[in-house]
Amino acid sequence: MYIGIDVGGTFTDAVLIDKDRVISKTKFPTVHDNLLLSLLEALDRVTDQVDNSLIERVVISTTLITNLIVQNKYEPVALVLEPGPGLNPRDYPFKEDTFIIDGAIDYRGRQIIPLDKRQLDLTISEIKKKGYRKAAIVGKFSGRNNAHEIEVGNIFNRAGIITELGHKVSGRLNFLRRAATTMLTVATRDEHVKFVDTVNKAFRDRQITAPIFILKADGGTLSLEDSKKAPVETVFSGPAASTLGAMALSPEGEDTVVMDIGGTTTDLALILSGKPVLASKGATVKGYYTSITSYAVRSVPVGGDTAVAVKGNDIDLLYERKGPAYCFGGPYPTPTDALLVLGYYSHGNVEAAKEGLVKLAEPLGCDVKTVAQKILDKFSQSITGAIEDMFLSWEQEPAYRVWELLHPTQIRPQNIIGVGGAAPGITQAVARLINCTPVIPEHAEVANAIGAAVAQPTLKATLRIDTGEGLYTVEENGNQGSVSKFSSFREEDAVRLAKEQLLKMADDLHVPVDTGSVEVTHSEVFNVIRGFTTTGRIYHVTVQTPRKILTRLYKQGGQDA
Amino acid sequence: MKKTGLVFFPAFDWAISPTHPEREERLLYTRDQIFEEGLMDLPQITEYKPRLATKKDVARTHFCVPNVAGQTTEAHLIAAGGALVIADALMKGEIHNGFAMVRPPGHHAMRVVHGNRGFCNINNEAIMVDYLRHKYGIKKVAIIDTDVHHGDGTQDIFYHDPDVLFISFHQDGRTLYPGSGFTNEAGGPAAYGTTLNVPLPPGTTDEGIHYVLDNLILPVLNEFQPEIIINSAGQDNHYTDPLANMKVSAQGYAQLNQKLAPDIAVLEGGYAIETALPYVNTGIILAMAGLDYSHVIEPDYNKNQLVQSPEKTERIKETVEELLAVWKQRNKIELGVLAHKSDFYQRQKTIFYDTDYIHENQVEKVRLCYDCAGYITIMSQAFHHNDRRSKVFCVAIPFNACQRCYNDAHNDYMNAVRSEAYDYVYLQNKAEDVYRIFTNVGTKKLEEF
Ligand SMILES: [Zn+2]
Ligand SMILES: [Zn+2]
Ligand SMILES: [Zn+2]
Repeated sequence: MYIGIDVGGTFTDAVLIDKDRVISKTKFPTVHDNLLLSLLEALDRVTDQVDNSLIERVVISTTLITNLIVQNKYEPVALVLEPGPGLNPRDYPFKEDTFIIDGAIDYRGRQIIPLDKRQLDLTISEIKKKGYRKAAIVGKFSGRNNAHEIEVGNIFNRAGIITELGHKVSGRLNFLRRAATTMLTVATRDEHVKFVDTVNKAFRDRQITAPIFILKADGGTLSLEDSKKAPVETVFSGPAASTLGAMALSPEGEDTVVMDIGGTTTDLALILSGKPVLASKGATVKGYYTSITSYAVRSVPVGGDTAVAVKGNDIDLLYERKGPAYCFGGPYPTPTDALLVLGYYSHGNVEAAKEGLVKLAEPLGCDVKTVAQKILDKFSQSITGAIEDMFLSWEQEPAYRVWELLHPTQIRPQNIIGVGGAAPGITQAVARLINCTPVIPEHAEVANAIGAAVAQPTLKATLRIDTGEGLYTVEENGNQGSVSKFSSFREEDAVRLAKEQLLKMADDLHVPVDTGSVEVTHSEVFNVIRGFTTTGRIYHVTVQTPRKILTRLYKQGGQDA
Repeated sequence: MKKTGLVFFPAFDWAISPTHPEREERLLYTRDQIFEEGLMDLPQITEYKPRLATKKDVARTHFCVPNVAGQTTEAHLIAAGGALVIADALMKGEIHNGFAMVRPPGHHAMRVVHGNRGFCNINNEAIMVDYLRHKYGIKKVAIIDTDVHHGDGTQDIFYHDPDVLFISFHQDGRTLYPGSGFTNEAGGPAAYGTTLNVPLPPGTTDEGIHYVLDNLILPVLNEFQPEIIINSAGQDNHYTDPLANMKVSAQGYAQLNQKLAPDIAVLEGGYAIETALPYVNTGIILAMAGLDYSHVIEPDYNKNQLVQSPEKTERIKETVEELLAVWKQRNKIELGVLAHKSDFYQRQKTIFYDTDYIHENQVEKVRLCYDCAGYITIMSQAFHHNDRRSKVFCVAIPFNACQRCYNDAHNDYMNAVRSEAYDYVYLQNKAEDVYRIFTNVGTKKLEEF
């Protein structure tokens, strides 16, 4: 049996799944200053009828790290950057104390300016004088050669400063995103470690021996223990949870829009050919782009609790919450009231909802049902606009190869799946507007927890192999090593090396990998030519484990659970 | 804040040939530098996706023999289309300036295209200019060619157009491909002075090109008052470029773009793919976005090695003086005097296609017209290295054609079709945006679009 728990901003959801059936589920308001309590309460509720020894796996999605960051609840970190030639560091976006050090590595991983040890000593004393205990050390092109970062890190560690190095956080090109992510990693690690240790203890106390995982923003899982290495990977796992949940509850392999309708916002995500679409830029945290991979999600500022008022000869969404819906005693009529009056929703006081809508109906000279329908239409239109926008911007993603431009992707969804309390009526209305099939699954209200429960570890190894320099680097973990400089190194060798690195990574992260299922998802070769002779080759190879979910709960034609 | 638009199209899967300077690797390290720098994330910058230029976009500028498809790969259409995307973004007011960092380049492609010259088949800037004029009614355009090679293709296309100011500085044609671009090439009789060529001695430095910029280009631009300024942004004046012998640095290029403040820059040549391009491109992008570029410095940069002899400085000053004189007299050339002798101005040209090894002979005639830019006819004969020959006749009607030119051009076109003397006869009717190819090879055929 699998458990999924999503400690969300408003609700904490949990499910217990056996094969493809939901055995029990729970949903209750998150206790803000005690996320652990919320988590354990949810856990206890879904497991109270079962023998804990039957639990095979637990996956948690939590806003812990997001909250720490957003609420500034972390110890300040000194940012130590080695920029080399390029943008003036004065124009960097960081508000943190930034210390610039000399030294530079270029795009092929060659040292172009050596480190200045004397300057490093001065930097360390300055950092200490300012009272910092922790530093993020990030060099431009450290993903191509980590030597400088390692050396600086060692010197800092010897001086008693707690550090994190950029290349360990991400080897992907983008110095500023890497710097932000490294800073957030050092900043949140202590709190996260504390959280992990308490969770572990609480599970042991309950005799749950199943492995515990934590959900990442990219929809993959990390073992709770390994997440200590990369705490920030767990930010924004909420949208990943709802998308994966929607995936488990919708038709396999199709193009689907996921619509997670909350109180004041509606989050949209896309599943294309059965796979969630990843954002092209890293997640934005505290206004900084990061190198954290996340799903492409778009938030529309309307939800079930959005206040509605009369404006001119029509109604208008106010794009803010003035309190709960009328049917729950609120001051303004809302889409939730409209849904209740139209029979798409079954909680709250129908009479109160009608009362609220009359306030809109009277000045417009129409009946309550008409007003309710108008609200639903407005709501649907604002979502439809955002969906269309999402597709357009997805089609506008830059392309750097002729082939990509000649094979443009123009897809419009077949399905729209609605999760969240107000989902049923809105999903039908939006589906009608964009002409696709509405999917309103059972258990939609705990879709996030289902998403956590079905998430799988995903492993990817992206190698850049430069036979001219005799060097290879792995983007995902910053590993580097040497390869033969001879031209006998071929594409097959590149793929073999990439698979080896993936298996090593799997080993480090305790993820079992079926070697046969590892697929090459990207491969390209550039000849390095100087004069008219080939002096090497640059390979870019990506191999990954198949991106699958553990189980599907979608039932064709119905809701028969 | 309006942003700087970027189209980055490195064409990682296209090359002239595996070891050619114009190959997949060319913008690879530029990609690495600008991505690592995070330039696309900066609030001052917005990235656009290129598109394919259409057959019509190309035919508005070029006579492609036998047709557009015969002279372009998809990569060419995307490079040109990248420039059009920037042009649209600018005209829609989405950006305040933009850089189409595209390959393959285009500034050696002339009006008639029999093959590839100097790595170019179609002229990205020229196609963009004609597009801007057709779609947005832009009239006065300035193109500043900052590539180390003479922009002979762009010059050829706008030679008779008084509303397009074309200024190219480059390493002296006696020492570098394509061997043209001397001060006496100053525009046709109706457009005299709106083509200015600045041949520079090998070894010219930042100081030299900035002298030209400050004393010639900027004052001339100020007088010409173009609606749009385009930088034909070649980067092979760089001190490490393997194909030329100049001494310009990334700082020199960045400063140039800051002072010139082009509305649009379109990448041309530049073959020091590791030592120059990553730095020069970063410098140009930062300069265009109004950001500080003073930290963009090549690893081996040494100011003391990039000095220009006083003798060269003197030569550059003389060239600038000479060109200022040409510019000042531009309106004094009496069209009437020339028109008196003949209704048409005629020039004969021999053109060599270095990449495809084609010799072309041309007779170009321009109607000297008081009412419009005058229509143009070109009789062109190409001799390919495999003994293949083709003989074509081209008629170009300008955007603002007067009735007389319009009618006469049509007559010339019909006569050429009837004569059966040509393999292909082309009509480029920019006034109505209609393009025709009449084929005499095999079955006679007319294509119109
Ligand atoms: Zn030039
Ligand atoms: Zn050039
Ligand atoms: Zn005329």
